[in-house]
Amino acid sequence: MSNSPQNSLPPEGTKDLPHFVSDAPFDLRSVEKLTPEQEKIYFASQLTLMWWKFKRHRVAVWSGIFLLLLYSSVLVSEFLSPWNYQTRHSKHIYVPPQAVHLFHKGELIGPFVYDLKRKLNLETMQREYTVNDKKPVKLSFFCSGEKYHWFGLIAADNHLVCAPKGKPFYVLGTDRLGRDMLSRILQGARISLTIGLIGISVSFLLGIIIGGAAGYYGGWVDMIVQRVIEVLQSIPTIPLWLTLSAIMPPSWSPILIYFGITVILGLLDWTGLARAVRSKLLSLREEDYVLAARLIGAKPSRIIGRHLIPGFMSHLIASATITIPTMILGETALSFLGLGLREPITSWGVLLNEAQSINVVAIFPWLMLPVVPVIFVIIAFNFLGDGLRDAADPYK
Amino acid sequence: MTNTIRKMISTSAALLFMTGSAFAGAPDEPRVLNFDNLEKEMGKRGGSIKMLMSKPKDVRWMTVYSGARLVAYDETFQLKPDILKAVDNVDNKSFTLHLRKGHQWSDGQPFTTEDFRYWWEDVAQNEALFKGGPPRELLVGGEMPKVEIIDSHTIHYSWNNVNPLFMTALAGARPMYIYMPAHYLKQFHEKYGDAGKLAELVESEQVQNWSSLHKRFGRQYRPENPDMPTLQAWMNTTKLPSERIIFKRNPNYHRVDPDGTQLPYLDEVILNLASSSIIAAKAGTGESDLQARYVRFDNYSFLKQGAEDGNYNVLLWPSGRGSEMTLLPNLNTKDEGFRKAFHDVRVRRALSMGMDRGEINEAIFFGLGREASNSVLPSSPLFKDEYAEAWIEYDVDQANQLLDEAGLDKKNDDGVRLLPDGRPFEIIVETAGEQSQETDILQLITDHWKDIGVKLFVKPSQRDILRGRVSNGETVMSTWQGLNRGLATPEMNPEELAPASPIQAQWPTWGNYYFSKGASGEKPTLPEVARLSELYQNWRDAANYEQQSAIWDEMLSIFTDQVFTIGIVSGGLQPIVVSKKLRNLPEEGIWAFEPTLYFGQYLPDTFWLEE
Repeated sequence: MSNSPQNSLPPEGTKDLPHFVSDAPFDLRSVEKLTPEQEKIYFASQLTLMWWKFKRHRVAVWSGIFLLLLYSSVLVSEFLSPWNYQTRHSKHIYVPPQAVHLFHKGELIGPFVYDLKRKLNLETMQREYTVNDKKPVKLSFFCSGEKYHWFGLIAADNHLVCAPKGKPFYVLGTDRLGRDMLSRILQGARISLTIGLIGISVSFLLGIIIGGAAGYYGGWVDMIVQRVIEVLQSIPTIPLWLTLSAIMPPSWSPILIYFGITVILGLLDWTGLARAVRSKLLSLREEDYVLAARLIGAKPSRIIGRHLIPGFMSHLIASATITIPTMILGETALSFLGLGLREPITSWGVLLNEAQSINVVAIFPWLMLPVVPVIFVIIAFNFLGDGLRDAADPYK
Repeated sequence: MTNTIRKMISTSAALLFMTGSAFAGAPDEPRVLNFDNLEKEMGKRGGSIKMLMSKPKDVRWMTVYSGARLVAYDETFQLKPDILKAVDNVDNKSFTLHLRKGHQWSDGQPFTTEDFRYWWEDVAQNEALFKGGPPRELLVGGEMPKVEIIDSHTIHYSWNNVNPLFMTALAGARPMYIYMPAHYLKQFHEKYGDAGKLAELVESEQVQNWSSLHKRFGRQYRPENPDMPTLQAWMNTTKLPSERIIFKRNPNYHRVDPDGTQLPYLDEVILNLASSSIIAAKAGTGESDLQARYVRFDNYSFLKQGAEDGNYNVLLWPSGRGSEMTLLPNLNTKDEGFRKAFHDVRVRRALSMGMDRGEINEAIFFGLGREASNSVLPSSPLFKDEYAEAWIEYDVDQANQLLDEAGLDKKNDDGVRLLPDGRPFEIIVETAGEQSQETDILQLITDHWKDIGVKLFVKPSQRDILRGRVSNGETVMSTWQGLNRGLATPEMNPEELAPASPIQAQWPTWGNYYFSKGASGEKPTLPEVARLSELYQNWRDAANYEQQSAIWDEMLSIFTDQVFTIGIVSGGLQPIVVSKKLRNLPEEGIWAFEPTLYFGQYLPDTFWLEE
C-alpha cells in the first residue's frame, strides 16, 4: 500500500528524507525514441527523400529509364544503325518497311529478311518491290559493315546488325533517295535530343543570372529586367525564330548551324525561368540567414549562388525537365519549316520536313515514322518532369 | 466622293457592256476552225470547269491557255493569222494587217485600227507609259516602223530593213500587244481623259500619276481588271484580290466551229486559289477539271491512285523545255573570286562533267529523262547530238584535271579546292524553293561534286526574292529551268541564248545592258558571249530561213560548248489531270510555254463537257 505510487509521499512527520539522484544517463529524447526505420526517414537527406518520393511515381520512373536508354543510344548511334544515314541505295528507292523473320520454310535459321525484286511500274510510275521468298538474306550481328567516323572522329566499321553488301535490309523502309529510315531516325535522335540539353543550359545560365540579379537587387534592375522579359514574351515565337535563323549564313557548317539554333532556342527561353528565380529570390532574400551572411560581409554573388539558389534548385531541375520538350519541339518545328537544321545533318525535324508532301501521306506513309519518337520523347519528358516536380517537395 | 466616281465608271462600263451585248456575237468574218485537221469532235456549248491556281497573278495563264493572238502557230508551227483575218508579209519588211469585219471587244465595242493607232501613238510613244520608247521588237537598228492606217480594218507596218521578230513577237506566249481597247483606256489617258476625274482616281487608287493608273487598268497579258475588255476566249469578271476568280465566255469571240457555233464551248472557267503545295493533293481528289500547273511528275503516282474516285484521267506530256533543271553559274556575280573562276570555261565544263546525270535520272526522273545539256530537244529541227552531249559525260578524272588546270589545284584540309584568293571553292546554289525536286537533285550533285573537291550549299529562297538577287548580281549560282524554247525553229527568237534580259541568271548584268538599251548593265566582256550578242543581232537582220538557221546553229554550238548553263536532264514528263467529262484535249501533246502556249496550242476554246 505504502509503495503504491499514489502514496509515494513519506508519511507525515518523517524527518531526514534520503536524497535521491538517478544515475541513469539523461536522454532528452527518451520519450520520443526513434526506431531505426524512423531514423532512416527523419535523418534522410533532401536528395534521398526526393528519390523515395520519385520512386513512387511509377510512370515517371519508366519514362526516366526510357529517356536514359535513348540518350545513351545517342553515344553509339552509328553502331546501332545498320547503314550510314547518308548512304543512298539507288536500286532501293522507296522500299516499304521490311519484316524480319526467324523461320524459313519451317526451319529456324535466325533473324533474316527476304531479298527484294524491283519492278518499275510504268502505268503508275511507281517502284514496286516484291518479296523474293526463295532468297533469305541472313543478318549478322556485331559485324563489320559500312565505314563511319564515330562522332566524326574515330574511324570504325562496327555495326550491331548488318546485311550482306548490296542486299536490302530496311526495317523502317527507305526514302526517296534510297536512304535507310531506321538509320536516319537513330542518327537524327543525336541532334534532336541533345539540342534540348544545350538549349536548356543556355537558358538556365541566362535565367539564373538575370533573374537572380533582378530578384536580389530589386529596384530599377528588377524594373528593367521585368520590362525586357515582357517584351520578349510578347513577341510571337515562331516569326522570331524564323528571323533569327534566317540571319545565319548558309555557308556555315551544319554543326555551327546546329549550335546557332540551340543558342537561339535558349536565348528565347530564359524568360520564364528568370521570372521564377526572381520571385523566389524576392522572398528568400528577406530570410535571417541572408541577413547574417550579409552582415558577415559576403558578396551578393556568393549570397545568391551559395545561399539562395540551392534553396530552390530542385524546383529549377524539375522545371528544366519540362522545358526540354519545348526545345525539342522548337527544333522540330524550325526544321519542319525548312529554317532549322539542313541536310546533310539530320534530325527528326529534318526528317519530318521531308515527309511533308502529299505523296508521302498517300503512298509512302512510313516516311512519317519520325513522328513516333518525337511523341514518345515528349510524353516521357512530361511524365519525368511531373514526377520530379512532385519529388522536389517531398514533405507535401 | 471617290466611291461615286468608281461606281460611275463601273456603271458606265456595265452600260457599255449591255449595249454591246445587244449585237453580241462572232465577227462577220469569223475564223472557222477545221476540226478534221485538228482531230477534234463537235461539242456542245455550256458548262464550267474549275482549275487550281496559287497566286492572283496566275490569271495570266488564262491569257496563255486561251491562246488568241493576232497571228498564232498552227499545229505544224507555222504562223497563221488568228485574230487577224490576214497578213500580207513582204520579205519580212512590210506587213499589212487585215482585221475581221464586225469583230468586237468583249464589251461589244468594235475592234478597229483605232485600237492600233491609240497604242502606237498614244501609248508606245508616250514617255510616261513606255519609258524607253516602243518595244524593241518594233525597232530595227533603232528605226521605228512606218505605221499607216489604210482604213478602219487595214493597217500597215513597214521598215527599211527586215524585222523577223515582228510576227513571232505577236504570236508569243507573252505576246507583244500592238493594240489596246482605246474606247476603254482613253478615260485614263492624260490626253483624252477628264483631268478632274483623273486626279480623283489617282487619289482614290493611291497611285502616283495617270500613267500608273493607265498601266494598272490596262493590263492585257494579266487580266486583273474585270472592266478591261479582251479578245481572249474568256474574260475575267472578278475584281482581285479574290480566292475564286471567274472567267466568263467572251460573247464576241472570233472563232467558230465548222457548224458555225461560236466558241468557246465552255461558259465559265473558274480559278480557285490554293497554296501551291496542296494543289496536287486537291487535284487528286478531283477538285480540278484541268490541271497541269503546280502538279509535278513526282505527284503522278498519287494522282493516278485517285483517278477512279476523282473521275479524272492523268496524261503525261513530254516537256518542251530545253532542260528540266539547269545550274546557272553567275558570270556577273559581285563576288570577284567566283566571277573569275566561272569565267574560265574549264571550270564550267568540269562542274558539268562532275555530276552523275545517270543517277539523277534514275532517282528523280524514274529513268525516263534524257541526260543532256541545256539545248534544243530532238524534235526541234535545230537539234544536233553534239549539242545535247556537250560536256555531259560523267568523268571525275577529267573534271579534276580541268579544275587543276584552271588554277584551282590547292585544297584545304576538308579536300575542298581553294580559289586563287585562298577561299574555299564553296558554291552556294540559290533556288526558288518551289520544288522539292530541285533540292533532291542538288543533294545528289552535292555528293557528286565532293569527288571533284567542290562543295555545294543549297539556299532555298523565294521566286521574286531570287529574281531580285539575280539581277543585283548577288547570287553565285542559281537554278532555273532550261530553255523555254526547247522546240525552237529557226524563225523563233533566239534571245535565250544571248544576253537579253536581267533575269538571265548566268549573265544578268550583260543581259541588262541589252535590255536597257545600254542605259545600265555592262557590255559582255567574254568574247564568246560578245559573239552570242552579235549573232543575236545578226539573226534580227537575217533575211531568210537559211540565214536564221545558220545563226541558230552557231549560237547553239557556242552556248552548249561553253556550258554557260549546266543542263542536267531533259525530256521530263508533265502530268496533266483532266476530268473524264472534258473532251477535245488530245491524249498526246507537248507541255511548253513557247511555242505551244501550254494548252493554247490545243485550242481550249474547243474543249467541252460531256454530260
